[in-house]
Amino acid sequence: MTHPRWEYLLSRPVAAYFRRKGFCWQVPEMQFYEHRIDLYAFSRVYDLTLAVELKLHRWRYALKQALLYQLCSDLVYIALPAARVKSVHKAMLAEHGVGLVSVDANMRCHQVIPARASNAMRPRYRRKYIRLVKGAQ
Amino acid sequence: MAKPQVIIRMGSHAEKEYLEKTIKFFDGLILGANLVEATPGATASLLIKFGGKRLGVPFYLDPMTYAYGMYVDPDRRLRSDLDWIKSEQKTKRGIRRLFKRSYRNLAESLGGIFEDALDRKAAITPSDFTNQAKAADFCESVVNYQVERLARVFQQDPEYKSFTAELPAPSAVFAPYFYIVPNDQEDWTRLNLRLARLTAELGSGLPVHAVVVADKEFLEDADIIDSLAEELPKTGVQGVWFWFSRFDEHRAVASSLIALRSLVEKISGAGLSVFSMHGGYFSLALSKFGLTGTSHGVGYGEQKDVMPVIGQSTPTVRYHLPEIHKRVGVAEVIRCFQPLGITTPQEFYDGVCNCTICKGVVNKDLDDFEAFGDMHYSTPKSKRLAQTPAAAKRCRFHFLLSRLRERDGVASATRDDIVKQLRAAKKKWGEFNWIEDSCGHLDEWESALA
Repeated sequence: MTHPRWEYLLSRPVAAYFRRKGFCWQVPEMQFYEHRIDLYAFSRVYDLTLAVELKLHRWRYALKQALLYQLCSDLVYIALPAARVKSVHKAMLAEHGVGLVSVDANMRCHQVIPARASNAMRPRYRRKYIRLVKGAQ
Repeated sequence: MAKPQVIIRMGSHAEKEYLEKTIKFFDGLILGANLVEATPGATASLLIKFGGKRLGVPFYLDPMTYAYGMYVDPDRRLRSDLDWIKSEQKTKRGIRRLFKRSYRNLAESLGGIFEDALDRKAAITPSDFTNQAKAADFCESVVNYQVERLARVFQQDPEYKSFTAELPAPSAVFAPYFYIVPNDQEDWTRLNLRLARLTAELGSGLPVHAVVVADKEFLEDADIIDSLAEELPKTGVQGVWFWFSRFDEHRAVASSLIALRSLVEKISGAGLSVFSMHGGYFSLALSKFGLTGTSHGVGYGEQKDVMPVIGQSTPTVRYHLPEIHKRVGVAEVIRCFQPLGITTPQEFYDGVCNCTICKGVVNKDLDDFEAFGDMHYSTPKSKRLAQTPAAAKRCRFHFLLSRLRERDGVASATRDDIVKQLRAAKKKWGEFNWIEDSCGHLDEWESALA
């Protein structure tokens, strides 16, 4: 089993990356039913919500979770170490509108695939989670 | 076509509410002896209510004799220390690890070899049964327990003595049974068969059922399965209940499922009633191969390890997705609505479930479905959200109603119909990434039933 510390290492650069992109209001480990969204964020500027699933490997598992997060977030990303990105079936992610961010050895993030606005999003969840994110600031 | 029986196993009195509303629709109730010993008065009263003249629900009392035998712990170590029926208890000398009250009381009620095992703090083994007369007494005490224990509760109380006559007799009595230890399968199988034979020979006037409890690997041993299929009918028992520890219908590969099917066919072919002690829809479908029925709990319980895992947090009660016959997370179900084109309650009833519970919950708006997964902080100190008791209750009631439909659906379907339904369910639900792992069993079931 992967030690959670290593996945946690990705969280800081990824959070900083999306903060620079305008998603300044952030909550780590936001619970969504039985799942935990590694990073949930809201951009007041763009009026968009964002969910990120961090994984060191097992991108297929990350995709399953990302697809669920499309229920409560406008944009959903998977973030992986750069070395793992080449094994990802990028067309599959693009087909589902799930974005991909690669984290290199210097902890710099690069967008590999942009996320598309979710068409499965349920407004009730969106409202609820924006409220939670605002409340946490 | 014969309708498979679904017998509900009551795990605690907290489940009474579910049973009060639904038990009359099921085919029986099974009570564990540990529950009887923990709450004798409440259990006896409940039995009069459910098993009495008005409802007449058939009942069974599982003597749980395996609890005093050897077991394999979660680390796969063979244990004979009876530790799993102990708990930390406060005493005058501080906290000590002692036998749980219910199992201590059960041993006292059963007497003889059971009390000896507790006194020496070591499991019962085949060597305890070398004396034939002692073994016969042992079987008699287990049968008497099932027939008389609850009556004794009323007899001991002058105020309630008159209720004794209202207590129903069990539909069958179980012969004593022990876990068939994996590395000593032959000896333990032989012992179980011998105890079954001795119990049948007692002539108690009630049908005698044997219980075969073994590890799932037992199913892969063709020799021992053949021997069991040959020897079991010779014992004179009228029925047998199978319980394979670590065997989960939803995770089992086709070869194991086929082995179970074959076992059911052989034994039912010899004229015995065959039950699955902890089974689900696949067990129901095995009624097409001779299975009489299955039992499980109110909150699912379609799989049970002999050795319960202790110290786990309360699991979320997930939503039983009727078409795939499996529980799935609420978020996973909701995620399917959009690709399935479900936007209204009516479309939900047509495409997912139209049981009374679902119609009550998903009433005005499709979003109402979320109520099956409502979360809250269960204590002020909780750091993680947990399912609300009301949401868990909705899921359990929905499951019970779905199970009744599954039972009736199996009864009116042919084997081919069932296979076609499984195939259609796989096609409909298996294409979704977030749920496809939950559909793997459909292929295995199809292979095993075709």
